[in-house]
Amino acid sequence: MTGLGYTIPAVVSVLAVGALELMLLRTGLFRRPAYWLSMVIVIGFQILTDGWLTKLSAPIVIYDNRQTSGIRFPFDIPIEDFLFGFALVTAVLLLWERQRERQ
Amino acid sequence: MDHWQYLIVLGACLAITLPLEIFRPGVYRQAWRAAHAVLPVAAAFVLWDEIAIAARIWHYNPAYVTGVNIPFHMPVEEVVFFLVIPLCALLTYNAVSAILRMVKRR
Repeated sequence: MTGLGYTIPAVVSVLAVGALELMLLRTGLFRRPAYWLSMVIVIGFQILTDGWLTKLSAPIVIYDNRQTSGIRFPFDIPIEDFLFGFALVTAVLLLWERQRERQ
Repeated sequence: MDHWQYLIVLGACLAITLPLEIFRPGVYRQAWRAAHAVLPVAAAFVLWDEIAIAARIWHYNPAYVTGVNIPFHMPVEEVVFFLVIPLCALLTYNAVSAILRMVKRR
């Protein structure tokens, strides 16, 4: 369990997306209630789909346990997946919002 | 049938979120804007994924994927994932924004 392979890049991805907004794009996404409400809904559905993808009884995605924190919750979802998902979805919404300003 | 499992999960995500397009201004109706939001991020995550697969941080169960890969060792399902999940998120955000506007107008 080094935590280097997945845990650290996952944390870095969230920090990078935060920095992208705060230092470069400045779309104001983080001040929109619609964003936070959407993230709650997205995480809810992530638990269902990701729970299916990562269930240890019949996994679709298989992780090297030495490269993760080892914490899997809820179901068998590696908690790193939530950072990964947060960064993915937030980055897309940031680029979507940036184009609103250009319109 | 098992080999289609990953694609079926992604197809279900697209099907479930499709009705959200009724909210204005829509995501599919702004395909150009959606492409400009989804594709650059998908490219970055495909790169991350390729590195993680090459470094054996994670891999995919051959029982549940079609076996069709893109270079270098990434299942085509994983590429679809990076298109489908962002679209679902955009549809959610589009719908939530529309609903909040409606609530405010009351």
